[in-house]
Amino acid sequence: MLVLAVLAAPLAVSFFSGLVPWRRSVGWLGCWAMVVVSACGAALATRVLHGSSVTTVDGALRVDALSAVMVVVVGLVGTLACWQSVRYLDAEIEAGRCSRRHASLYGVLVQAFLAAMLLAVLAANLALTWVAIEATTIATTFLVGHRGTRRALEASWKYIAICSVGIATAFLGTVLVYLAALHAGSHVHAPASLDWTSLVAESHHLDHGVMRLATALLVLGYGTKVGLAPMHSWLPDAHSQAPAPVSALMSGVLLTVAFYALLRFKAVADGALGPGFPRLLLVIVGLLSLVVAASLLIAQHDYKRMLAYSSIEHMGLIALGAAAGTPLAIAAVLLHVLGHGLTKAVLFLSSGEILSTEGTSEIGEVRALLARRPALGAVFGLALVALLGLPPFSLFVSELGMIRAEVEVGLGWAAGVALACMVVVFAAMTSHGRHLLLGPVGPGEHASRTPGIVVVPLVAALVACALFGMLAWPLAPLLRAAAKTVAL
Amino acid sequence: MTAPPDVAGAVLVAGAQILVVGVGGPLLLGLMRKTRSRLEGRVGPPVRQPLLDVRKLFAKQRIRPQCGSWLFAAGPIVLISTSVMVAGTAPLLTTRPALGQSTDFFGVVFVLLLGSVFLALAALDTGTPFGGMGASRATTIGALAEPALLVAVLAFSIPAHTSNLPALVRDGLSNPQVIASPGRILALAAFVVVVLAESGRLPVDNPSTHLELTMIHEAMVLEHSGPDLALVTVGESMRLALLLGLLVNLSVPWGIATASGMASLVVGAVALAAKVVLAGIAIATFEVFTAKLRLFRLPELLAGAFVLALLGVVTALVAR
Amino acid sequence: MSRSGYVAMLDLGAGVVLVCAVVTLWRRSLAAIIRVLALQGVALGGVALVLGLRQHDGALVVVSFVVVAEKGAAIPAVLMRVVPRGPTSRELSPLVNVPASLVAAGALTLLAFAVSGPVVALVPTATGRLVPLGLATVLIGVLAMAIRKKAVSQIVGLLLVDNGIALVAFLATGGFPLVVELGASLDVLLVVVVLRVLGSEIRSRYGVLDLDELQELHD
Repeated sequence: MLVLAVLAAPLAVSFFSGLVPWRRSVGWLGCWAMVVVSACGAALATRVLHGSSVTTVDGALRVDALSAVMVVVVGLVGTLACWQSVRYLDAEIEAGRCSRRHASLYGVLVQAFLAAMLLAVLAANLALTWVAIEATTIATTFLVGHRGTRRALEASWKYIAICSVGIATAFLGTVLVYLAALHAGSHVHAPASLDWTSLVAESHHLDHGVMRLATALLVLGYGTKVGLAPMHSWLPDAHSQAPAPVSALMSGVLLTVAFYALLRFKAVADGALGPGFPRLLLVIVGLLSLVVAASLLIAQHDYKRMLAYSSIEHMGLIALGAAAGTPLAIAAVLLHVLGHGLTKAVLFLSSGEILSTEGTSEIGEVRALLARRPALGAVFGLALVALLGLPPFSLFVSELGMIRAEVEVGLGWAAGVALACMVVVFAAMTSHGRHLLLGPVGPGEHASRTPGIVVVPLVAALVACALFGMLAWPLAPLLRAAAKTVAL
Repeated sequence: MTAPPDVAGAVLVAGAQILVVGVGGPLLLGLMRKTRSRLEGRVGPPVRQPLLDVRKLFAKQRIRPQCGSWLFAAGPIVLISTSVMVAGTAPLLTTRPALGQSTDFFGVVFVLLLGSVFLALAALDTGTPFGGMGASRATTIGALAEPALLVAVLAFSIPAHTSNLPALVRDGLSNPQVIASPGRILALAAFVVVVLAESGRLPVDNPSTHLELTMIHEAMVLEHSGPDLALVTVGESMRLALLLGLLVNLSVPWGIATASGMASLVVGAVALAAKVVLAGIAIATFEVFTAKLRLFRLPELLAGAFVLALLGVVTALVAR
Repeated sequence: MSRSGYVAMLDLGAGVVLVCAVVTLWRRSLAAIIRVLALQGVALGGVALVLGLRQHDGALVVVSFVVVAEKGAAIPAVLMRVVPRGPTSRELSPLVNVPASLVAAGALTLLAFAVSGPVVALVPTATGRLVPLGLATVLIGVLAMAIRKKAVSQIVGLLLVDNGIALVAFLATGGFPLVVELGASLDVLLVVVVLRVLGSEIRSRYGVLDLDELQELHD
């Protein structure tokens, strides 16, 4: 019941948004749907804490601790994004850039996008997960191009073209896993062969050669959607051109939902091939992403692109954490997914607010935010601090956990390279942040207030992030249970 | 294979094949010209016109440029001897030609190539601009066509486990489904393109052009005259007949003589003539509806043939 | 259907799929490329049909009809409507010239052979042997997407990738469960529709036809 509610809430709102022209109440309805999702996710989490799972619809949907974590992350980030969407659409309609019909299309697509992501993490069947992740691409293409500018359309073309190829590669990998499962002997029978619990259970029977090929294709394919180098080129374009709430959703959860699929497959590959081969692949793409992100962040002049590259960096960190693969590492990865989702959503949403008030996304043209817009500047600055992995925020804890796990399994050298990249990122982003936030107020300018309705949810998200970081409550048992499902 | 060598029989078969190809080649050329003329609404020269031309040319005086070396004289001779050599040994009238055990498909390709190379060398030898231009174009096309041809030959040989030409034809006779296999069809398509390119037909070269800028083959033989030109004409037309003969015997081998003896040889000759005539008419008809490709587009055509042949090899390997 | 006839038909279908992929690199006219794509879709459906009849798999027979309707008719029709008449409907200057891309296609075919060794080893039947052809189609599709500039040819490249994967799936596994197949087909159709709408929106608003004119976003 709860599982179906998680899917039904956004789908119903999506359908309803299509029926009526956009108005503010419809927007708030979308926000409530995400609150419902978060609540259901929390309720599901309490039921699967001890390693059990909830199955519905003839075994097509299954929730275990890992799925529950992802549902909660999608719900929380979705709530934030839907909250800000109301304000974004209001401003667009007021400025005459967007008709009410166009706005209701936005409502339909955002909720469909959220539903597809939720389906991806709830599906018990790996092929169904694939279908859902492909559906997220379709739903978000028009959202990326929603502003209709030439750049936005260019970004959405690149996005769908590159991601479609990536996701097709992942499909080929899925086909091969299915093939290996069909030939794994009498243990797996055909209809269930893509069910991931039975796959994990039978993984040691799977054919080595085929699984190696499949693992490489899956890392490449889902890696495209995660935004891992070298298939990351769509990410900065799409994230910088999409409307702020959409960027928040894409960066905050879409990337990690694709990573969720990778985690599930990794558990199968670990069983079939041993940890060495998947680890090698993940370390390669992870380090490559870190290096790419660090080198392109230094000379970045657009703050939305800066945030996009930071997403690539964090996906690289997560990939390294998953490469270590111990329970500690996976728990840290999931905490990082949650913390990164929240802080990146806060950053993108506040950067959308900055863009709409300042009218430019150039770092060089925005100054002294702390003095001119104290509340907004403070939120942006704090979120930046959180993103850079400083205490008390949870990203500090999760990064520490991942590095410890990497050292424990003998990936200390990779952790060292990652730390070096993180230092570069830290220097680049603090320098950019200083440009944006600090500086004297110019003559004739004075501080302006940012409406509380913008600031309150963002502050709440940052507080939550700090609480998770300091107390680990109430997450610790859930993360432990989730880690157990896919860790080595 | 184990039968004692029948020298007289072998000489008879080889002689018959050389005669058929030697007379049939110019006639084929005449037939194709006639077909084109008729389709274009003209009467056209009689079919035996090339033979008459050759006779006339042999009666004429031989003029060679003063600056030409032995290469210039060697070109036509090497061309005609390679054509005769292949005509004597290829499975045209019978599946058991003279020296049949050593008639390797790769070998045939290389022997025919030797003739083209010498013709191009002869054209370069005199140092005239047209000869050089024609030779450079012909070698360019050859360089692109040859790999495609070799790969196509490989595709033919894989299913039969041999590259011996008579054995390939026998294989087609004994299991006809080999001929319809995708690998064989792909290789055949590539082979057709290469045959068109090698024998200087449209859309690669226009055999009836007299516009110097577009000529390829004609430009190469501008300097030859009298008996030299007659040898070149016969040699080239024999090449065309040989390639078409191989093509039809590889794709529709029925009618070819499998036993020795005069009667089956005659039947084989009639069958070969019928098949080659049909192929020649088909090519001539195709030429009526085709324009010559620009020289810069030729690599695309031949690269396409190469990839087709390669895919033929791949499918042949898959289907093994 | 006799065994050798069944094998020959599978060979032929898979061969046609691969040859169509190569021909899309060979041809420049967009209309011709789309017709070749339609032929490829029909051949793919034929492979599924032959397999479905042979294995008495009703779902696969259904899927084969869906494939023919979708990839042989619907998608080419959608694409054909955006192909403008006149000289702009040709791929005039791909990033890599046609002979080189054809040779690259040949090399990719050999690569596909080398890579798919384990799959062929696992399924040593008449169908498993043909898996490299599907993989080669996938690689050629990626190549087409990388070197072609027209929006339509990029979509065609994507569809080549998809058809190749479908061929691998049919040959190696006899197809996914029906629900997944239908979901995947729907996704592909939607992607094509989205790409087409996006392409015409870009063209109608900004008059851009070649994607290499879209170069405002870069680092």
